[in-house]
Amino acid sequence: MIAASRAASARRRWVLRAAAVVAIAVAVHGLAVWAVPRVIMNRVLAGTGAAGGGVFLPPMTDASQRRIVMPSPDLLYATCAFDLGAAPLRVRADPKAPGYWSIALYASNSDNVFVLNDRQAGGRPVDLMLVGPAAYAAAPAVPDGATLVTSPTARGLLLMRVLVADYVAQREQVEAARATLRCEPLR
Amino acid sequence: MSAGRRRPLGRRLAVGAAVLGLGVALGLASAWAVLRRADGFGSGAGPWRVALLAGSADADPWTRARVAIGGLLALNREETMYYVATHDTAGAPLRSRCSYRVEGVPPAARWWSVTAYADDFFLFDVPQRRYSVNGQTAVLDARGRFAFTSAPTEPRDAGTTPWLPTPGDRGLIFTLRVYSPEAALQAAPASLDPPRIEPVGRCA
Repeated sequence: MIAASRAASARRRWVLRAAAVVAIAVAVHGLAVWAVPRVIMNRVLAGTGAAGGGVFLPPMTDASQRRIVMPSPDLLYATCAFDLGAAPLRVRADPKAPGYWSIALYASNSDNVFVLNDRQAGGRPVDLMLVGPAAYAAAPAVPDGATLVTSPTARGLLLMRVLVADYVAQREQVEAARATLRCEPLR
Repeated sequence: MSAGRRRPLGRRLAVGAAVLGLGVALGLASAWAVLRRADGFGSGAGPWRVALLAGSADADPWTRARVAIGGLLALNREETMYYVATHDTAGAPLRSRCSYRVEGVPPAARWWSVTAYADDFFLFDVPQRRYSVNGQTAVLDARGRFAFTSAPTEPRDAGTTPWLPTPGDRGLIFTLRVYSPEAALQAAPASLDPPRIEPVGRCA
């Protein structure tokens, strides 16, 4: 009798342990999958210079670019990391590139939350006022002519792409196009 | 359980630590196994797989994590569609030491490119600085088809067919970017006329 009850209790212990292993594994799996894009984005934001204004102009993409996966060798990039916690960001650009260009916004979980390309801009300068999910104590008015864009996260990254067919031949034009990008906190 | 039958504290702690360690290890290993697959994307055309929800707020957590690992800062599909190939048309894994002929018709879009990446998702370090073939650099034949060769060393037909150098012996990934895809392709990504990826010669 005692032996049988001991065996049953040992079985129950093993079932409980196995259930605990599965529950922990499921939780860790979920947490890891959730954290991966955020950790990777965080690393990118930290490496893109000071958040809140500065435009970063990396050199034309080649094999030495090992910060962001699958860099396109046909695009010239410009980035600015932003933090909308304290103030909105005013984004302005007037790229006169011969081909495709776009300005895309990424939330801190890596989602592409906004994109505007050259065809949509229709030759007009880009003027955006980017606000975060939380209200500001003193909300600045949307400047005349600017379009209001709401980011679902306070921190994020703006990425400008300028298509380059031949960098040597088009250098002046495409460099001038991306150099028009301005990211300035609006206070 | 009565206090008298309780196991020693040290043993119970050891069992607890083993349960915790095993659970954490299984959780991390399963996450890694699911996320590390570059071809783990949904829909496909020939050897090409497309991540339809790349960059999208509608992406499930696994897609979002997979894209962050293998295609961070992707654009949404109205803007750009990304087709990724890790295998040739016959289904064999792509290797950089082998030679491949990639041939197809330009996709229905404003602009496109095919780029060769090493299996770490970065460009091959090649002095020629030739990493991609695109809508502007590709030369179309009389049938409107483009072609290029990827190979570790310069192929004999390099004078007539563009060559993308793929040095070393490691996994190879081709990414086809389709910028401003036409609405029909956006609606049915598998309708892409998939560029063929054929091995050239023997690859030991």
